[in-house]
Amino acid sequence: MIVDFQMNNLTTVEMIEQGSWRVISRSEDDLFSAEVVLDVKSPALDIRQAKVEVKRDVLGLVQDLSTATDKLIGVRVGPGMTKIVRAVLGGENGSNRLAELVLDSMEMLINAITVPELRKANEMAGVPFKSESDGPKVYLNDRVIGEEMVRLMAGNPRMKDSCAAFGDL
Amino acid sequence: MLAYARCKSVGVQKQGKDRRVASGILEDELYAMECKIVVNRPTLIIESVQTHMKRFTTNRCTRAEKVFAKAEGWKLDRDLDGKIKKELGRHGCRHMAILLVDCCRALARAEVARDLRVALEKDPGLDAKLFINEFYGWNPELADYLRLQ
Repeated sequence: MIVDFQMNNLTTVEMIEQGSWRVISRSEDDLFSAEVVLDVKSPALDIRQAKVEVKRDVLGLVQDLSTATDKLIGVRVGPGMTKIVRAVLGGENGSNRLAELVLDSMEMLINAITVPELRKANEMAGVPFKSESDGPKVYLNDRVIGEEMVRLMAGNPRMKDSCAAFGDL
Repeated sequence: MLAYARCKSVGVQKQGKDRRVASGILEDELYAMECKIVVNRPTLIIESVQTHMKRFTTNRCTRAEKVFAKAEGWKLDRDLDGKIKKELGRHGCRHMAILLVDCCRALARAEVARDLRVALEKDPGLDAKLFINEFYGWNPELADYLRLQ
């Protein structure tokens, strides 16, 4: 059957200079298109610049949010960000979709920062792996973080019980 | 150089009068996964969920796949996103939970897009805001879940 609605999202994270990150998120569907650009600075991971642009709004429901967007400056990527961003950009006079796109962008920065740590964990304590859910001809997971390292990582209160991998330990 | 990139894509199909299907994929440096759901129309009950962890980080990640079937029987309503993220994300996989929410959201927006397309064919000068009010009138069950703004 032919698809009659599509949603596509792309988020990229780039270090533009030492300690400065640029996160760009673009969301597109049949009714709506928007782009978020955030410049974030380490070590506090506070937003230094924010741009939210609606490219297409077929239903014409999203109001001008430039004043609200300015209030994102200084917001830190970390605990409490969800409540702040939803309060600044979401709600009846705002746009919940844009608030979620900003939060997605912030979340992806956290993921970007986590990648080197996970890579290190895989290099140090990775184990050869073959899963029944992988293959049967092409295996994407030849080496994964093994039980010992998983238990060690679960010792971090932020990781413990955060998902199936770090639960029941 | 890019430090990280995440791509998510969801497609929605109408299969007959009372069956909607959404399929989503997520790809980034760490994860690759896919999610397929069937939702009944007009009840908005999730009838089937099928997930596949394709690329992951730990030897325990595939345990998450079993958790997502719990969403079968859940309804597209205002509590759904939170329930998926809390109950399925925490006990399964946070990334798959996000993808499942995206599938549900896209599926609901597709209902609007589909009706809007038909309405615009009949009246190319249609007032979109008026259309939305009428849409909510015809589909009150969706008003609780739709996030168009």
